[in-house]
Amino acid sequence: MTDGGRGFAATLVGAALAVALQCVVAPNIALASAMPNFLAAFALVAAVVRPEATGPVLAFALGLVFDLLGAGPVGAMAFLLVLATFLASRAFFALDNDTLFIPVAILLCSMLLVELFYAVFLMGTGLAASPLDAFLYRALPCALYDCVAALVMFPVALRFMAPAKPRQPGSPRLR
Amino acid sequence: MALNFQNSETLPVRRVLLVVLLVASLAMVTVYAREGEDGPLHAVQNAVGAAVSPLKFAGASVAAGAGAAGEGLRDAAADESTLSALRERNAELTEQLAQDEELRQENERLRGLLELKDTYALDGVAARVIGRSANAYSQTVTIDAGEAAGVDTGLTVMGAGGVVGQVIATTQNTATVRLLTDPSSGAAALIQSSRAEGVVRGSLDGLLYLENIDADVVVNVDDLVVTSGLGGSYTRGLLIGRVVKVEGSVGDATRRIVVSPNGTADVLEEVLVVTNAAAGEAAGGTQ
Repeated sequence: MTDGGRGFAATLVGAALAVALQCVVAPNIALASAMPNFLAAFALVAAVVRPEATGPVLAFALGLVFDLLGAGPVGAMAFLLVLATFLASRAFFALDNDTLFIPVAILLCSMLLVELFYAVFLMGTGLAASPLDAFLYRALPCALYDCVAALVMFPVALRFMAPAKPRQPGSPRLR
Repeated sequence: MALNFQNSETLPVRRVLLVVLLVASLAMVTVYAREGEDGPLHAVQNAVGAAVSPLKFAGASVAAGAGAAGEGLRDAAADESTLSALRERNAELTEQLAQDEELRQENERLRGLLELKDTYALDGVAARVIGRSANAYSQTVTIDAGEAAGVDTGLTVMGAGGVVGQVIATTQNTATVRLLTDPSSGAAALIQSSRAEGVVRGSLDGLLYLENIDADVVVNVDDLVVTSGLGGSYTRGLLIGRVVKVEGSVGDATRRIVVSPNGTADVLEEVLVVTNAAAGEAAGGTQ
């Protein structure tokens, strides 16, 4: 299988797993009302691991699934994930220095922003809560939980989804 | 393009796709916010919720079995190390005891529901909680009784301690219940001792707040709060909870009255869906 085909298959499998985890596992591992968003975590991990290959459709599809599984406004998470994955992949292109710090930092910032703006979306569409409550009781704990999920997914995604780096001329080779 | 989210499209096409998807998302949010509960997007959301109900069954089983699995692994490790028949027997008895304890607790909860049903002379359908919301912002549970059992939207749902929520969507064999602790919930209520009327609302911090009580009404800790039946959304006269905290004093229009909730999504296991509102109203205010 070609590198692109392998990455594509791994992305599909990963997306299906993320949906299953969100349906089956997430509601049962809630900590003080904070619940991980495996779909957002996977979409952002994919955007950072395969920034040049993962387009906006994956993020849109996963966001839409999240919206349809919950009771929030349909389209809100889809919008945020499309935007966040685009910005995350651009940021990765601009800042990548072959260290782990940059992709992890981009992931964490993106997760926090997605949860923050999702709370804003909900308040804009009628959630009866103050911005402080929404931030303290949901956005921040959920973002931390999402980050844990993303940090677990990241090395797995690097192993199975990342494209092989082209060998530079003159680079040492094991014989 | 369609569902191929790989790098097959050129950069301008991708940009166009990005904009199209963003606009489509915003359009859906707008439609969702403007349409009623019977709108197409709400209908699709309910249909998806119903479609994933079997997965929620699996999730509930996973959650229930997680503790037992840990026990089992520990027991298995002990058996391997000792190969002792006595230990095996001990493990069996321990498992049996755990099952008995589980049944005893379930029996206690169901007995509580039955007592509640008798106390209020209610007709209802008992149901088991089989799933919880996959979204941190909504406090909803899925129960294993639906239209086939006579459950309909708008019906009051009770736990062993009193009212816990209201049915908001149904399928043939399942129903979705929005708990009182959900920030979108609101139940017309009254303080039993003073008959002062207000509205009990859920919040993101998991507490219930009694609002719209006149500033001159004396509210004390331990006062009982019951449904008033105003607006017809909840059956009248059912216990919501007790006042546990009053922030502010009489005459203060901004005081906060905290009411203890009867159930939260993570602890609720069995519920009673009240199908006969007339019987409930007959018992209204007698608590």
